[in-house]
Amino acid sequence: MLIYLGRRLNLLVITLLILCIASYILAFLVPGDPLINLSGNPSPSADQSAQLRLMYALDQGYVAGFWQYLKLTLAGNWGLSLTSQNPVFQDILQFLPASLELSFYAMLISLLVGLPLGIMAGLKHRKFADMGILSVSLMGFSVPVFWLALLLILIFALQWGMLPISGRLSLLYEVPHQSGFMLIDILLADISDKSAVLNDAIRHLVLPTLSLSIVTSALVIRLTRRSVINVMSSDYIKAAYAKGLSHAQVFWRHGMKNALLPIMPQLAMQFTVLLTNAMIIEVIFSWPGIGEWLIQAIYQRDFPAIRGGMLAVSSLVVIFTIAVDIIIRLIYPLSKRQFHAQV
Amino acid sequence: MPKSSFYEEEVYPSPMRQTWNEFQRNHIALGGLWCLVFFLLTSLVGPMLLPYGPLQQNTDALLLAPAWAANGDIEHLFGTDALGRDILTRVAHGCRITFGVSFILVILSMLVGCSIGAYAGMSRGIRSSVINHLLDAIMAIPTLLIAIIIVAILGTGLMNAMWAISLALIPQFIHQTRDIVRREFHKEYVTAARLDGAGNNRILFHSILPNMIEMLVVQGTMALSVAILDVSALGFLSLGAQSPSPELGAMLSDSLETAYVAPWSIALPGAAIFLMVLSINLVGDGLRTALKNRLTQ
Repeated sequence: MLIYLGRRLNLLVITLLILCIASYILAFLVPGDPLINLSGNPSPSADQSAQLRLMYALDQGYVAGFWQYLKLTLAGNWGLSLTSQNPVFQDILQFLPASLELSFYAMLISLLVGLPLGIMAGLKHRKFADMGILSVSLMGFSVPVFWLALLLILIFALQWGMLPISGRLSLLYEVPHQSGFMLIDILLADISDKSAVLNDAIRHLVLPTLSLSIVTSALVIRLTRRSVINVMSSDYIKAAYAKGLSHAQVFWRHGMKNALLPIMPQLAMQFTVLLTNAMIIEVIFSWPGIGEWLIQAIYQRDFPAIRGGMLAVSSLVVIFTIAVDIIIRLIYPLSKRQFHAQV
Repeated sequence: MPKSSFYEEEVYPSPMRQTWNEFQRNHIALGGLWCLVFFLLTSLVGPMLLPYGPLQQNTDALLLAPAWAANGDIEHLFGTDALGRDILTRVAHGCRITFGVSFILVILSMLVGCSIGAYAGMSRGIRSSVINHLLDAIMAIPTLLIAIIIVAILGTGLMNAMWAISLALIPQFIHQTRDIVRREFHKEYVTAARLDGAGNNRILFHSILPNMIEMLVVQGTMALSVAILDVSALGFLSLGAQSPSPELGAMLSDSLETAYVAPWSIALPGAAIFLMVLSINLVGDGLRTALKNRLTQ
């Protein structure tokens, strides 16, 4: 286990280092002065310029420069955004929780919907229910997420006027920024009309969460169904039946654990897919998250922000993946057989 | 008169034929294949059959409803958009761009990915360890995210989006090919070929490749559906194909402003993407099942 942990941590450090190197090289590849791209100061005076060159060690070769950059990055000094002149790192800290909140709820819903449906389809393999669930999931899996979001807006927000089109909270309400997670912030905040605010926040959440979770539930259903089918046709299930156990006993005692544990890593991986889809959804719903922020930065060619956003999102995904890997290894002993990294 | 057979000869269909027979038994997958052929024809000959150009504006018919609506006109079967461009024409051209681009870039990344994967599968020791570990880390990042990052570096545009998505698709192919090659290398027919004196390259091209092709096709269809979704998503975010271009995703983002008065200008291009991806997924699923059935027989 220790060796495994060492290998994984090693991989984590190396991957993050590569991401850092890539983001450093980015400052030289993209058009414009590397100094401006690194610091985000659009027109430094001669004095400032000399100071910044010293700070980023630009005159001492790439290796020293990268070392300096690495130190600054770890210290949370990611430069300024070219358009807003805000520190990039603070911006990311502010916008990232909104994306995480959205993805987290969507993941929760898709697991709550996808797992039972997948298990049901797997148990009724080649029956009518299986065909129905499978075709619905195939459709959910093929639908482009942005089109789905637009259709939901057209139907629920524009035609029926039931739900708000965009944003995170009605402009009437003001919630102080504490953790960045809206629902937690509302519960923590000291405001008069708490239940009305909460209601409004949830109404804003419905459409983005729904459009995200439809696609992910379809994936979860497919994964679960395949795994349940494989497990239920295995020998030890036949042995359990031969012992005279009922369907329910066989499934709850033998089938369930063995079907769900092996697909845990893949299920957890859906979170990264979800996060990417959330970036598109954020643009459609004007959700103030990291995706909307990063894509605005790309439109405006705001290189310090692009660099920071890219680094933040990809490190988040990599850290998440490796953490899931380690947790799975802890709770699922069979995965020790595959020593090499499998994602 | 029924054909009489003189010889009591047993027929052994070739592996490809067996897969096809298995595939045919799945009617839904067969339907998907027909749908895919329809889209292929649409993107190949569709634009030639239509009387309008994709950018041609008809100022007399702005925001015309589709022909089946009460105020529609048969001259514009799918209606027109805010600039009076015929939506059917644009969808046909859009299928050509979206489908064609995705097809080309899947082929491209398949070639590159398989070469690297075969190399990684045959190499041992530190080299293979480095490739494996890096690859596993990259595989964890969704393709669309990689594509967005690469577009952020290269700048927007359809060409850059193509580069970005094909680069993002390569790791999957490397992973798949590496696993297959590594697995097949331990099998007996490879050992037999090796005893005959075949070198690594000969084994790869003459023994393993024929066994690998079907699995690569399955992987290719999966990659194709991902590629179509990614190309249109980038188009929708205006990071890929830019506005006047009839790429399906770009069309969707074009018609956002008139979504309320002309919902069909959103619904129809999106439905085209949806059906295209659905048929590809059906075919891919059918092929995978057929292959599995054949191998477990």
